[in-house]
Amino acid sequence: MRGATRTSILLTVSVVAVALSLSYAFLSLGSVVRVKVSTTTSLYATGLADHLASSFNSVYPEARVEFVAVGTGAALKLAERRDVCAVLIHEPSLEKQYIDKGVIRDGKIFAYNYFVIVGPAEDPAGISNSSNLIEAFRKIYHAGEESKALFISRGDNSGTHFRELHVWRLVSLSVEGAEWYLDCGCGMSEALVMANELGAYTLGDMGTYLKLESSGRLGRLRILYENKEDNLTVNVYSAYLVEGCSGLEKKYAELFINFIYENQRELIGSFGVSEYGRPLFYPARDKELVIQGLWDVFASGSR
Amino acid sequence: MVRVELEDVWFRYLSRGRWVLKGVSLSVENNELLVITGPNGSGKTTLLKIISLIYEPSKGDVLVDQKKFWELSNSEKTLIRRKITYVHEKPVLLKGSVLYNVAYGLILRGYEEEEAFKRSEEILKELGLETRASVNAQELSIGEAQLVALARALLLNPEILVLDEPFAHLDARKREILINLLKEKHKKGVGMVISSHQSDYLKNLNVSKTINLEDGKVVQAY
Amino acid sequence: MLTVETLNTVLRSIYVSGVATLLSLTWSIPASYYLALKGRSRLLETIVETLVGMPTVLLGLLLYFILSSSGPLASLKLLYTPQAIIIGESILVTPLIISASYRLLKNTIRTFSELALTLGASKTQTMFLVLRETMSGITASAVMGFSRAIGELGVAMMVGGNISGHTRVLTTAIALGVARGEFEEAVFLGIILLIITITITVALKYLSKAYEEWYA
Repeated sequence: MRGATRTSILLTVSVVAVALSLSYAFLSLGSVVRVKVSTTTSLYATGLADHLASSFNSVYPEARVEFVAVGTGAALKLAERRDVCAVLIHEPSLEKQYIDKGVIRDGKIFAYNYFVIVGPAEDPAGISNSSNLIEAFRKIYHAGEESKALFISRGDNSGTHFRELHVWRLVSLSVEGAEWYLDCGCGMSEALVMANELGAYTLGDMGTYLKLESSGRLGRLRILYENKEDNLTVNVYSAYLVEGCSGLEKKYAELFINFIYENQRELIGSFGVSEYGRPLFYPARDKELVIQGLWDVFASGSR
Repeated sequence: MVRVELEDVWFRYLSRGRWVLKGVSLSVENNELLVITGPNGSGKTTLLKIISLIYEPSKGDVLVDQKKFWELSNSEKTLIRRKITYVHEKPVLLKGSVLYNVAYGLILRGYEEEEAFKRSEEILKELGLETRASVNAQELSIGEAQLVALARALLLNPEILVLDEPFAHLDARKREILINLLKEKHKKGVGMVISSHQSDYLKNLNVSKTINLEDGKVVQAY
Repeated sequence: MLTVETLNTVLRSIYVSGVATLLSLTWSIPASYYLALKGRSRLLETIVETLVGMPTVLLGLLLYFILSSSGPLASLKLLYTPQAIIIGESILVTPLIISASYRLLKNTIRTFSELALTLGASKTQTMFLVLRETMSGITASAVMGFSRAIGELGVAMMVGGNISGHTRVLTTAIALGVARGEFEEAVFLGIILLIITITITVALKYLSKAYEEWYA
């Protein structure tokens, strides 16, 4: 009899525990509108996404923006599968494809920053006085062929990766199968860490670089090419609404996108300045037409 | 010739556990047939293993031909152990054919495989199991397996054969075969120690001594 | 889908995880044997069993700290090489192989060492006897180790770096596929991974059966 009693007590406790956790899950979500937004890991890693979400939440406490940070391709795939209601992304050519497919719409450019080339402090390829990205890449190519330099490619179809491929096309040199060209299929942070380990060059965005650098992880790396005049280095961030999203989530998704767009200068311009000594992103509003023009170039150029 | 003596042997498995054997003294030599009876849990198997020089007693001495066995060197021990063969109550067979299992003991002793297999075939015939020679040992019934384990032991020509409940899994026919074989070996001078909690099977054997074991103590010896 | 690169990734996965498993066996089996022989150590058993479920990414991270250019073994230049993955995975599967074979060995050693004594075997003969009888069980734990190695992501990612043509293995390729949104490709690779694991498991089971039959 004792065994049976023990078993039934155990069973009751488990059933009650499961029921409680399930009801907690349902109840705690009931009152707040969840707005699911997909974004890229590099954007998320800088902390900007959470910053935007919490600012939004203080104005609209009844809504909560939840980010799913994945690779660029996956972020758009999630949109295609309607698993998210909005997308924050920075790869114009992919964005255009998905706009044409009718997956995303009502895009608003809300920020931009610059791609830079980071590399070993010794700069064996001598790119630091290059006048543009194309020249820098060419120098890296030749240094690589002479076994003096390594280059790390993201290889993950991210915004950074596409820009890198775009530049190689403009340089019109093939890196296919080159010993010095390492395709890591990894995220921005991993690529920077790898570049630091191997003393290699890589294309990166300022945001992720500054974040890692400030925590002392990138001791061997320096920013070797940075040129705000070079339009080819501009990295454009846009927010989109996902087609097929509906109801309250859609309402607040739209509000979120507009919120970001309207409050660019306050939200974006000051982000990170106190911690890193310089802004990680720039509000697009200041140079709206130019940035839009660049978006058009990048959207059609790659492929 | 060999004589094994137990002097006031005590045994327990764990250093602070209960005593399984309490002050057991006995002796056995080849030519003798010693039967050990007693209820389950009385310590029969443990006693047999001590007689077979497998377990070292916690207290007391085991003398083989008047020498304290457990104080000998490893090589001396191995040589003496070869004179006494113990057969488990639940047969322990190896992976492989019945023939291989029966021959295994000889192979261990350095016999050529051919010779070992030949002798194995012969004894399997005596036991009426020659048809099962190439069968996988794991596929045998427990009665057949028991006979195979016995065959293996017998091939080693021990001076003392120690059998733990040998009749436990045998049907009437196999029992008869075994009893006849044991009678024969005993006539040839092989000593035996047999434990059984059913003494009627032993009627047909020439029993020299019987020891009644209860709760680890010898309660009767005759 | 089935490209030369994919084929290379598959072969590399099998090679890396296979070598890692074999490497681990060289110390895991003697360790299991030793542990089984020496009797119970509840503490040791518990430690080993806990380590079986070690998060791969944690092990990967720890190894990364050791192999990194700012770490103690930087001079070995092992980071981002297949060898680093081999070392990492061999460490990863060790607790698994030990705990799986230890149980088996404990039971077998007692039974068969007694048998060996009754038949007058020497210590060496006893050891070979035990190994022979436990071969199929040990093979099973090796297969378990291999499955865990080839299916893990954390170590391969952290110390391998998923470099195309060099350290990309099936699991990291799958993760990349997901990151890129190429879900079909990821699933395809995942199925290949499963097929490999099943094939190796079945093949080794069949081989150990055949090995046993050989004695009949």
